[in-house]
Amino acid sequence: MNAFEYAAPRTLDEALAVLREHGDEARVIAGGTALVTMMRQRLVRPSYLVSLREVSGLARIEAANGDVRIGALVNHREVETSPLVRERFPVLAETFRRVASVRIRNMATVGGALAHADPNQDPPVTLIALGARVEIRGPAGAREVPVEDFFRDYYESALEPGEVVTGVVVPRRPAASGAAFVKFLPRTADDYATVAVAATVSLQPDGERCREARIALGSVGVTPLRARAAEALLAGQPFGADLLRHAGESIKNAVDPLSDHRGSAAYKREMASVIAGRALTQAWEAARAAARETR
Amino acid sequence: MAHRIVGQPIGRVDGTEKVSGEARYAGDVTLPGLVWGKALRSPLPHARIVRIDTSRARSLSGVLAVLTAKDLPSILVGRRMFDMPMLARDRVRFIGEKVAVVAAADPDLAEEATTLIDVEYEDLPAVFDPEAAIVAGAPVVHDNPGAYEGAPAERPHPNVQSVLRFKLGDLEAGFREAARTFEHTFRTQLAHQGYLEPHAGVVAIDHDGRVQVWASNKMPFRLKELLSHALELPQEKIRVNLTPIGGDFGGKGSLMDLPLAYHLARVTGRPVKMVMRYAEELMAGNPRHPAVITLRTGVSADGRIVARSVRSLFNSGAYAAFKPAPSVSLGGASMGAGVYRIPNLLIESFCVYTHNIPCGHARSPGEPQMVFAEESHMDMIARELALDPAEFRRRNLLRDGDHLANGHHLEHVRSSDTLEAALKAAEYSQPKPGPWIGRGMAMTHRHIGVGFTNAVVRLGVDGHVTLRIALPDTGTGAHLVLRQVVAEVLGLTVDDVEIEMATTDDFTTDSGVGGSRVTHTGGRAAYHAAEKLKVQIQAEAAKLGMPVESLPAIARAAAREGRTLEASHFYDAKAHGAVTSFTAQVAEVAVDPQTGQVTVRRFTTAHDVGTIINPIGHQGQIEGGFVQGLGFALMEEMKSEEGRISTLSLGDVKLPTIQDIPPLTTVILEDPVGPGPFNAKAIGEGSISSVAPAIANAVADACGVRILDLPITAEKVYFGLKEKERRA
Amino acid sequence: MTRKIRLTVNGTARTVEIPMYRTLLDCLRNDLGLTGSKEGCGVGVCGACTVLLDGKMISSCIALAVSADGHEVTTVEGLVGDERLHPVQQAFIDAGGFQCGICTPGQVVSAKALLDAIPNPSDVEIRDWMLGNLCRCTGYYKIIESIQTAAQRSRA
Repeated sequence: MNAFEYAAPRTLDEALAVLREHGDEARVIAGGTALVTMMRQRLVRPSYLVSLREVSGLARIEAANGDVRIGALVNHREVETSPLVRERFPVLAETFRRVASVRIRNMATVGGALAHADPNQDPPVTLIALGARVEIRGPAGAREVPVEDFFRDYYESALEPGEVVTGVVVPRRPAASGAAFVKFLPRTADDYATVAVAATVSLQPDGERCREARIALGSVGVTPLRARAAEALLAGQPFGADLLRHAGESIKNAVDPLSDHRGSAAYKREMASVIAGRALTQAWEAARAAARETR
Repeated sequence: MAHRIVGQPIGRVDGTEKVSGEARYAGDVTLPGLVWGKALRSPLPHARIVRIDTSRARSLSGVLAVLTAKDLPSILVGRRMFDMPMLARDRVRFIGEKVAVVAAADPDLAEEATTLIDVEYEDLPAVFDPEAAIVAGAPVVHDNPGAYEGAPAERPHPNVQSVLRFKLGDLEAGFREAARTFEHTFRTQLAHQGYLEPHAGVVAIDHDGRVQVWASNKMPFRLKELLSHALELPQEKIRVNLTPIGGDFGGKGSLMDLPLAYHLARVTGRPVKMVMRYAEELMAGNPRHPAVITLRTGVSADGRIVARSVRSLFNSGAYAAFKPAPSVSLGGASMGAGVYRIPNLLIESFCVYTHNIPCGHARSPGEPQMVFAEESHMDMIARELALDPAEFRRRNLLRDGDHLANGHHLEHVRSSDTLEAALKAAEYSQPKPGPWIGRGMAMTHRHIGVGFTNAVVRLGVDGHVTLRIALPDTGTGAHLVLRQVVAEVLGLTVDDVEIEMATTDDFTTDSGVGGSRVTHTGGRAAYHAAEKLKVQIQAEAAKLGMPVESLPAIARAAAREGRTLEASHFYDAKAHGAVTSFTAQVAEVAVDPQTGQVTVRRFTTAHDVGTIINPIGHQGQIEGGFVQGLGFALMEEMKSEEGRISTLSLGDVKLPTIQDIPPLTTVILEDPVGPGPFNAKAIGEGSISSVAPAIANAVADACGVRILDLPITAEKVYFGLKEKERRA
Repeated sequence: MTRKIRLTVNGTARTVEIPMYRTLLDCLRNDLGLTGSKEGCGVGVCGACTVLLDGKMISSCIALAVSADGHEVTTVEGLVGDERLHPVQQAFIDAGGFQCGICTPGQVVSAKALLDAIPNPSDVEIRDWMLGNLCRCTGYYKIIESIQTAAQRSRA
């Protein structure tokens, strides 16, 4: 790695000030799994690292008006094992559990992963399906961006210079709803997905027809994707094989995958449809079960 | 015949050092004043070096030396064929070839310094595909390879490193006899041995000019010879200090970066450590040769093989330097004949130069490639003949007195028994539990390795025996096996026998580790040395009128007269005897028709072995070899395009993880007929080669898709299924 | 640019002055002489560099040494107590859970952390926890057996 200076401020304001001072030369480091690996490979060479590890107030998971707020410094393992997350959003705990290995999950933070903006990651897919929002702080103050709008390009997020992710807010789910996350990784058990899909389905009062569906996909392009056209097909419809096939075709047209070691673009396109079908089937089943319970 | 110690599942002797972190591998060695070496590597597959400017690197604080080819003698290195410069001289021939080397105070600084070396290149035309490389007019990798020391004589094309042939009978006559003829072509991938310890070495030059070496190398005597050749120093000036090795699997027998570490040590006056990053292993670490193999087989009306021709092209990359066999080829090519009696046979195997990463030996060199092709071919023929694959094999299996492709005749052949044992344990003929489930089989065999080894056993005054050898333990547990052998002979417990690691000063020679030979050669050397010591002890006991068991007293009595009871033996195993070991394997797989994903539900591996000396170690070799075969079959691949390897992280290479292993059933047929001590055979390379074809055959059985190139990925099966639907 | 950091390693307070770019692994191995932890893949995948940071497994090859300032590190060398092997280490010897040994320090540190967190792990729990510890020699079967053996023994 190149030589660099390192600071670990204790407050967010201090951290933002240091970032402002050093501009392009500085990078934020939290868990460091992505950044240190890239620095060791000489893909990035910042001359200043600002660590957020000592900043207080960023590592909490808390309920806030029915929503759940996860601080940026919470690591993946903490989300996976959080009783609050497992109770309110089991699909999110399960998604974080699928990331890499326990060891990496101990290190990698929620905020750091979001800021890294790798379209092959798992958590953003489910966060999009859950309608989550990213909390950001910067020189101009605080703002929120829906997760589905947070990714601009490969490794490029909506963060402006000097801004950091401070947390992510996951809004409460309707009662008669279900969610599922399916990660398709056919080579070995420790990998990014060839394709990953998260689906949430909430049902109309009849407990059968779809009121709203949200479908998000990972590893299908330069950013995670929300399949709005497919979602529109599902609204108001009862579950059925034809409907799923229809939605699958729409998804094939919506994605623009990159060929890589985990699959060719053509294969990923096909799998986007297959895996979306599986995720929707699971989510719909879960929604129906939830609807039966609330009746 | 039951033994006391041999055959017991005793825990490893080096266990405490390994589990406690005390074991010092080459990369752990540190010396006062040590500095770190790092290489700059070529970014181009074939280019002329126009100019190298090292001035910016030299002026980085903490850098002690920067060397290029002009600072070194123009000596070429290799293991058998010496065609590789220590640093690229006037041109580079593969992406990753070393162009310059730096010594600095820490490894980060050394790496930083390499980025400050400016090299100007002029692109040259390059060739990457082995078929394209042997066509007239192809870009030539080496202008005159025949001039290199160790180069084989036959060279049909300047890009051919070697040609290896196996011939039996009359091929043309055989094919004329055939009722039907079948031809298929297969491809296998570039794959790394996957040892978790990257190449590491430390070189220090004593004040008396002696060169001390610690290296992740499994044949210390050959290393000393090769260093002597590369550094132009007499062998007595070089001492190789043995260290444990973090996995070899064929890949750690070359000089790698040691000559550069030496020259940096010479120039800086400091000990130098060089450790490859894994990305460097994946660019320049002598992986397994990719292959293109075509088999043509003629079969009689009653399903007997009457003729076979095999042509294999191994994509050897830019240098032949990493291949150790005198043929400069891969002996595994002989497995083109499989485990079958083939009266008329021609196998032609070409190792081809291209502008790719130079390849070397990997567990069972050439065999996983060849056996995948051959055993898949057998199943495809069986299907065409409407014969059960087991039945087709039964009609053709080798029997006592038959000849192998290399001319050796066989005795104690248990090919049939091994096949039937595998089929029975795998419940091969039982109905399958559901659709999209398939079973497939494959067989292979492997000769016991040969070589030569020295051993010395000495009785200490405390009654303990020390076995002195210069064979490193690459991880197989070989040292424990040798202790068991000595303990058995002398009537001791394993705890009474210690291993003392020799250095290359202590013996004149040893073939080192490899080719599944250590239990045989090391075991025999230890066995015979122990037998000789036993005779000495008995004579001494008789003289003293003591019982033979009172070893401390005997030793002390001898010591009082200035004598040590010690015996040595040099064992040289001649060329392969008439005994081999068969392996039969059955894979049961499930295919997900929507995605093509292949899941191995269970796997059965049957082995015809000699006496097992240590059952835990033996089983460990079977399991480890199987999982490497599993990875080769389904997961592992180094992707290279136009000479550029894009899988430069271990995470990309896809070694199997703990969640990828299926339930494994092992069947052992123990037959005390091996040439090793107590009639042992060998097991180190027995379980890897037939895994891929067993799985490929099972996939074909499950869903009708035949995969002809490894690895068998979900994507290939998926598109195979789509193609099948289209044709239907 | 160097910094003096203070960390507790295997129960002992250590102070060391290191450049910022020093990884925790290189600091342990080269500055503190604890060569038990190994560098394998260098990208956090293989687990050969596993150490415990405040009791939690991390990949020390991608952790900056400065990030351990003020924290507790446990390496494989810290598992041995009173000159006796930790039960996990003994189990790996008895069940053949290692061959070349290069991954073994990472395996036993991870296994110790597993048994601390889940004293009686199921097969699935073992495979989940140990997913990030690669082994090229054993094929994993005997690693799983070793962990099960250690768990059984501590229940007895």
